[in-house]
Amino acid sequence: MKRQELAFEQPKELFASTPVEMEHGLRDAVRLLVTRPSGHRHAAFSDLPTFLSTGDLLVANESATLAASLEAHGPSGTYTLDLSTRYAEGLWLAEPRWDPAHPGPMPIEAGEEARVGDATLRYVAPYPGIPRLWFITADRPLEPILERAGAPIHYGYVPKVWPMEAYQSLFSRVPGSAEMPSAARPITPKIREALEAAGIQFASVLLHSGVSSLEIEAETVEQQAVYPEPFEVSQATADLINRTHESGHRVIAIGTTVVRALESAWTPDGVRPRQGFTRLFVHPGNPVRSVDGLLTGFHDPVTSHLAMLAALIGLPRVMEAYREAIANGYRWHEFGDSHLILRN
Amino acid sequence: MAKSSTNDTRRPTERVALITGASRGLGYTLAEFLARQRWTLILTARHEGRLLEAVKRLQATGASITAVPGDVTQEQHRRDLVAAVRRIRRLDLLINNASELGASPFPALVEYPLEALRRVHEVNVVAPLALVHECLPNLKASRGLVVNITSDAARGGYPGWGGYGSSKAALELVSKTLANELRDAGVGVVAVDPGDLRTQMHQDAFPGQDISDRPLPEVTLPFWAWLEGQDPMRVTGQRFEAQGTVWEVPA
Repeated sequence: MKRQELAFEQPKELFASTPVEMEHGLRDAVRLLVTRPSGHRHAAFSDLPTFLSTGDLLVANESATLAASLEAHGPSGTYTLDLSTRYAEGLWLAEPRWDPAHPGPMPIEAGEEARVGDATLRYVAPYPGIPRLWFITADRPLEPILERAGAPIHYGYVPKVWPMEAYQSLFSRVPGSAEMPSAARPITPKIREALEAAGIQFASVLLHSGVSSLEIEAETVEQQAVYPEPFEVSQATADLINRTHESGHRVIAIGTTVVRALESAWTPDGVRPRQGFTRLFVHPGNPVRSVDGLLTGFHDPVTSHLAMLAALIGLPRVMEAYREAIANGYRWHEFGDSHLILRN
Repeated sequence: MAKSSTNDTRRPTERVALITGASRGLGYTLAEFLARQRWTLILTARHEGRLLEAVKRLQATGASITAVPGDVTQEQHRRDLVAAVRRIRRLDLLINNASELGASPFPALVEYPLEALRRVHEVNVVAPLALVHECLPNLKASRGLVVNITSDAARGGYPGWGGYGSSKAALELVSKTLANELRDAGVGVVAVDPGDLRTQMHQDAFPGQDISDRPLPEVTLPFWAWLEGQDPMRVTGQRFEAQGTVWEVPA
């Protein structure tokens, strides 16, 4: 698939910069676009239960968001250092940026040092194929510094840093994500109760999301280097998913992170318990087998997330949905509106 | 056995690795990655000039590096390596990376010169095991990890690859068996297939062919970073593909 096939005109005024609960009091006060084989429907998020059936299974990501954005001081002055993924004690993958709105690339050299809180960091090596990301080593654990001095990672379209709470969902349990797995954001306890009352089941996986991918730069989507993320699929979740499929019901992922985790645990006999780091890139050459649907947000042009959506329902249908979303003013990014994509 | 009473309180910057075949290719890339994290390194390679040049570059990182040029199949050379380990009194990571491809161009097994086959197995199987024997006290003291570099040739049965492939298959079984035998001693053993890489070794395996489509050894760095974060006892006995889709921790 050529990278250009994932391009579309994205009006900047559709970027959501404020958590909806700050304006309307409730997280579920967002819109829901429903894409099914029969077409697209415009709904409110609170209508979610009416699009699912008894016996369907929703799978959530239990990863909680870290305050992963730090202020660093180095040869280039004071800049932003966003931690992406923890590999080992004091060894992280990170993205140095001029500031939240300006990604760089910064003139970093291997061996260069920086101060972050009371820690000294050293740049070890750039990530192969993704030179804006660096392996860094710290002379002490960084977790306490995140707790003391970290902020949630935020970009130029979010001019204000919101409280950490805005970046956690009902399912957040295990800290480790650099960026919020945000698809579950609008699910309030009330929505969850309504879903349960409708006979919808819940299961969870763990996938610690790294910093968001920028545009695919490789000429073809399949060539793009993607970095791995830690994940875990438990025996209980694998059993529930396999039983749901066997009984003819649907498995619906809450977020692209869940699709990555479940596809990484897929075997010809179904999903099996598995944990580790996954480098799996779900694109149309790598069809999705573990889920029948996805509840997600709206994604930027030419990104790996769009390639995943195309793997789920085919590119023409994704582009049709996005034209529909843009024409109707749906809002983008982690504080934006929701998109339920059902394959059947 | 070297006394190593301080091993539990040492800071990560004092970790020690011994890497064979470290003057170029994957071995050098690994050495550089660890040196930039300020591991203390003991490096060996057969070509003295190349090894010393590599060490000079690596010392720019500020890491402490000992170079011991020589052939890992020579007992005296291994004694020199172990003497270097004993001087530092610690070993966390032994990477058996030095490998011998064998006769070139690759002969079929039915025509394989037996002397060349012996040499392949000496370098790829006997020497890594001998280094484990000799480093065991220090590996036990630091509850360390042994990494044996393997290849998909160990499983392929590819015509022409029987000499090298059989040695790597043997090394994989050595790894798996050692893992079971050393579990109680707290020493981990893994086999790692780095995948096809743009190295001199790969070029030697495909003489005259253009291998520029293969990635540089740096492509494996994320895997090594991941492995660094794993408890040796959780991953021991496993075979990993550094360029594979999932690096799995057994349940």
